[in-house]
Amino acid sequence: MKLLPTICPACNNQLKAKILICEHCQTEIQGEYELPALTKLPPEDQAFILEFIKSSGSLKEMARILRLSYPTVRNRLDEIIEHLKHAESSQENS
Amino acid sequence: MKEIKNSSIIVSRRGISQRLFNPFRFVAGYKAMLLGLGIILISAFIGSLSNTHFDGVLDVHIGLEAPMWYFFAEGVIDWLSLTVPLFFFGLIVSSSALRMIDVLGTQALARWPYLITSIVMLPEANRRFSMYLISRFTSTADSVALKYADLCIFILVGIFAVLMAVWMVALMYRAYAVSCNIKGARAIITFVVSITGAEVLSKFLILLLLQ
Repeated sequence: MKLLPTICPACNNQLKAKILICEHCQTEIQGEYELPALTKLPPEDQAFILEFIKSSGSLKEMARILRLSYPTVRNRLDEIIEHLKHAESSQENS
Repeated sequence: MKEIKNSSIIVSRRGISQRLFNPFRFVAGYKAMLLGLGIILISAFIGSLSNTHFDGVLDVHIGLEAPMWYFFAEGVIDWLSLTVPLFFFGLIVSSSALRMIDVLGTQALARWPYLITSIVMLPEANRRFSMYLISRFTSTADSVALKYADLCIFILVGIFAVLMAVWMVALMYRAYAVSCNIKGARAIITFVVSITGAEVLSKFLILLLLQ
């Protein structure tokens, strides 16, 4: 499946969803929909969050699976939290 | 549990430079502390064979004979003198939830270049030249007969020891940056303040040991 583009390739601004379609009956819904905060994160951040949830939210478990140290994994999570806060604040401003 | 194949989650290059200059990406906490403490104690033991004293966070000097516990105490004082201020700076400056064990462990492991230094300081020629210098500047030691090669070995060992000290400081900085999640100017300033203070503190505490 194609990856969901979230950034405009022309001006680098945040994209919104305009058309939603039902694959079953082909009904189309038009509007202007904000993308959920998690989808605005880069793919590698989203992959990290998925693995984090699969690890029951345990950084120790993530560190063991990734064969990295605990603080390295914690720092990565803190970085993603910062990205999320930034995405939320830019959404509130727009 | 299956290992994650997707390397894009965290870019984790495991090249030789990563292992030499930032091993803390891969090891921290209790594992690093056990390894680091072992390294500190072995360095102290090897150092005691040539009367090499780690008498300050960054210092390496050949000195006078001392009991074994004194060498071990020097190593532990050096380690804790830096770890404690770095942890407190981390608590103040970092927005992450820090673990003391990570700071303790990574700082202990960061001292491993001095294990190599303790081995390099072993040659008798190096000890002889150091004793010659001590006898020149103090009246406590007997005069020592020197060979020309002693001077050459002393200089080579000195250059090597400086390189090891630079490497150790680089490791200490990386250990601080990773364990406390601090980057940029804040990391550099707090690290420089900590290491300067730790050098003075460790010297003072080791002097207290002598008394």
